[in-house]
Amino acid sequence: MNVNPNWIPMKWPSGPLEISRRAKTQTLTSELKGTLEAWHDPAALELLRGAPVNCLIVLWAAGEREDFEQQRTLKPLLEAGRRMALSFVGKVTTKEGQGAAIAAGLEAGLSAVLLEEPPVRPLDLPVILQSLRSKIPWDSAFPLLSATDNLWPGVALTTMREGDEAIAGPTGIPWVNSNGWFSLLARQLAGGRTLWLDFDPPASSGISHPADYCLAVADSQAYGSRWVISLDDKLRAGIIRKTPRATRLWHRIAAVLSFYKKHEEWSAFQPQSVLAVISDFRGENESLSWEVLNLLSRRHVQYQIIEKSQSLSASLEGLKAVVWLDREAPSAELQSKLLAFVGQGGLLIAASSWRAFQGTPIQADFSARYELRNLGKGRIAVAKEGFQDPYQAAVDTHLLMSRRNDLVRLYNAQATNSYCSAEPQRKRGLVQILNYSTAGWTDLVTLWVKTPNRSSRLWNLGAKDPVPIQGVTVAGGVEFHLQPISTYSALEFDDWNVQ
Amino acid sequence: MKKDCSRRQFISALGGAAAGFWLSPPGMCLAGRTPTAPVSVARCRAYGPEVLATLESMFDQLGGLEQLAKGKTVAVKLNLTGPALQRLGHQPPELTHWVHPQVIAATVHLLGKAGARRIRLLESPMSTAEAVEEFMLQANWEPRDFTSAAAGVEFENTNYLGKGKKYSRLWVPGGGLLFKAYDVNHSYEDCDVFVSVAKLKEHASAGVTLSMKNSFGITPCTIYGDDAGEDEPSELPRGGRGILHRGQRQPSRSAPSENDPRSPREDGYRVPRAVADLAAARPIHLAILDGIESMAGGEGPWIPGGRPVRPGLLIAGRNCVTTDAVATALMGFDPMAERGAPPFEHCDSTLRLAEQLGVGTRDLRRIEVLGTPIAKARSDFRSL
Repeated sequence: MNVNPNWIPMKWPSGPLEISRRAKTQTLTSELKGTLEAWHDPAALELLRGAPVNCLIVLWAAGEREDFEQQRTLKPLLEAGRRMALSFVGKVTTKEGQGAAIAAGLEAGLSAVLLEEPPVRPLDLPVILQSLRSKIPWDSAFPLLSATDNLWPGVALTTMREGDEAIAGPTGIPWVNSNGWFSLLARQLAGGRTLWLDFDPPASSGISHPADYCLAVADSQAYGSRWVISLDDKLRAGIIRKTPRATRLWHRIAAVLSFYKKHEEWSAFQPQSVLAVISDFRGENESLSWEVLNLLSRRHVQYQIIEKSQSLSASLEGLKAVVWLDREAPSAELQSKLLAFVGQGGLLIAASSWRAFQGTPIQADFSARYELRNLGKGRIAVAKEGFQDPYQAAVDTHLLMSRRNDLVRLYNAQATNSYCSAEPQRKRGLVQILNYSTAGWTDLVTLWVKTPNRSSRLWNLGAKDPVPIQGVTVAGGVEFHLQPISTYSALEFDDWNVQ
Repeated sequence: MKKDCSRRQFISALGGAAAGFWLSPPGMCLAGRTPTAPVSVARCRAYGPEVLATLESMFDQLGGLEQLAKGKTVAVKLNLTGPALQRLGHQPPELTHWVHPQVIAATVHLLGKAGARRIRLLESPMSTAEAVEEFMLQANWEPRDFTSAAAGVEFENTNYLGKGKKYSRLWVPGGGLLFKAYDVNHSYEDCDVFVSVAKLKEHASAGVTLSMKNSFGITPCTIYGDDAGEDEPSELPRGGRGILHRGQRQPSRSAPSENDPRSPREDGYRVPRAVADLAAARPIHLAILDGIESMAGGEGPWIPGGRPVRPGLLIAGRNCVTTDAVATALMGFDPMAERGAPPFEHCDSTLRLAEQLGVGTRDLRRIEVLGTPIAKARSDFRSL
């Protein structure tokens, strides 16, 4: 049994254990009980024919008396699934009787178990560890990691009497919930291992906002992670009843999954940026550094992440700016490296922990909050009071670096994020645009890319073929007038020639 | 019109006129005594090298820039309204609701050529304290186009305290229609000459937005914005100028409060009055209107029904009211129109209010039009 990093996982809640769990949470209705029973039936797997889902997460053991019955009644489902080349991961939420549960899983043909805590001794089945983001053991040997405290992506909505009203961010633009930045962080910290993002549809969700599910897939896949597909109760009931609406929505989700499977190579593309963010991203530095990444993404600032312990060996070639977020000063060796970067023309933005005050003091727009110095061909900006506010830190980083170094800009697209990546040899490049608005299509969007390349291909979510698109040369780059964006669009460049 | 005068001389002159107004019976208009000045109108079909040549010719018609700018610090208020990332369709903002960079660069070049000592490009970009250069970059503009157009070019974001040590207080001669004085960024006081470079547009709250309405943006949102500080100005500007539009609250207590807090809380009443006040408090020595390409139906892409138009015009004058009156006529409206008539269907006429404050006349019979006659250049913004 091997854990396949390319699994496309889906939660498969069913059977007596799930019914018991839902009864305890007071959410069990007779309709839901029927749905959970129906999904336990091997016939329900027909749903997956033609869909790229190839790994089902089933509840296997919870330390309840229903455990045995759950495992026994799951066997037909597992057998039918294996005939369809499906893998099964058993979720074990109990330490008591864990050994027996694992043994039963091995016998039943589970491919792996999903645990909430690391096992005390090696198990006979591969383990996928599922934990809170801040508790993920990045340095462990688990082949797959799964984070739990993720956000349902979209414009943050607060339910008002009159309906939904978007929450505004500090700049007045809509606040967007996205896990994209965390996927980029995980990509760096997990050393190339796949991250599963576990999040469920919000309680109020029905099947009235079909774009939401597609966005949930896109917000994970575009940044290289996998959403553990989780359908809400109404949708699962509708699928069993084969209602046209539910069936259409499931087909749409499957098409979106197929789209990303077809473009699997995109997930190996490397982030393109002229800014590096250095931190250990842990402990006391976690809160600030995480939110800075989130807010840089909201500003369409492209960045690469350098984990502090890797920073001595990391290449700074091609970068124009480095931001050092941590409260602790870097080692003397790393300081030397960063000063050399500055000397050659780079910009270093550092927390107040920075003590190497070389260079000539200068006065500039940011003098109120930063001590600014020229050094060699570059500049150092030290936050006098440290980075108190992640929003301000993100704004300052962007503007200290200057918009002159933007790689992309988007017009008429307030609720979007973007992500630039390219093949390791920088031949093909990609600008992915995610639209977090649930208000429908976003129209009249213009994308500016810092490239002289006017030819591109526009991919829309689920499309089999791209649409050729020609840009218009403007100051510093090329503008592309995009078709209306529903959830996701991507521009693919054959020659990624970012200036 | 006074060809060249200091701010103090100008305000002093205005004060006399305004005092006369305030002593006059209600409804009595001082149009007969308000200043007038010629307005230059020129056809300019497209952006390109012809912009510079056309503007130079227009400034010559107005008596030349040298006597206005030589050896002086010239503050140029730009018209870059709204967020840089919002467009009318796919059009870049300079083709619809922002003054075009070529008009700015040509103006800067000609001011430099006329001997201006410093040329300060000022704007209060929406909801941000970032440098004006950064705001321009966001719109895909190149700020170096302006710094290379003349010597001594500087930028300042005037939506907050900026580079100043304190805010400057500009008093409205005669006591003001909405406020008796306005607190603004130092740049509007620390200059010898004030130039307004605006776009030729309609406006949802003021009927038209021209050289005078451009001055609405000199008010810092740290004091007059939705998130202005209660007692003192906030450190950073956020949001729009709700205090001036709707009067839902008073500005920061450090600034003068409203003359009449019981006056209508309606932007069609308030915005024209604030604009007229500001035109009197911060006199405009040179008004330039970019009507080569613009938009009709509103002042920005956030107004439903806005559409691009190409009037193909440049307009300039040494009096902001006469210039705006001619521009209003060129848009197909009657500058003598009162509230209820186009373009002032939902607002008071800024032209009338500024005229009453003694800033200038809106009566076309008293305004000399140089260059292209109004009849030959007039378009109809409502049918374009």
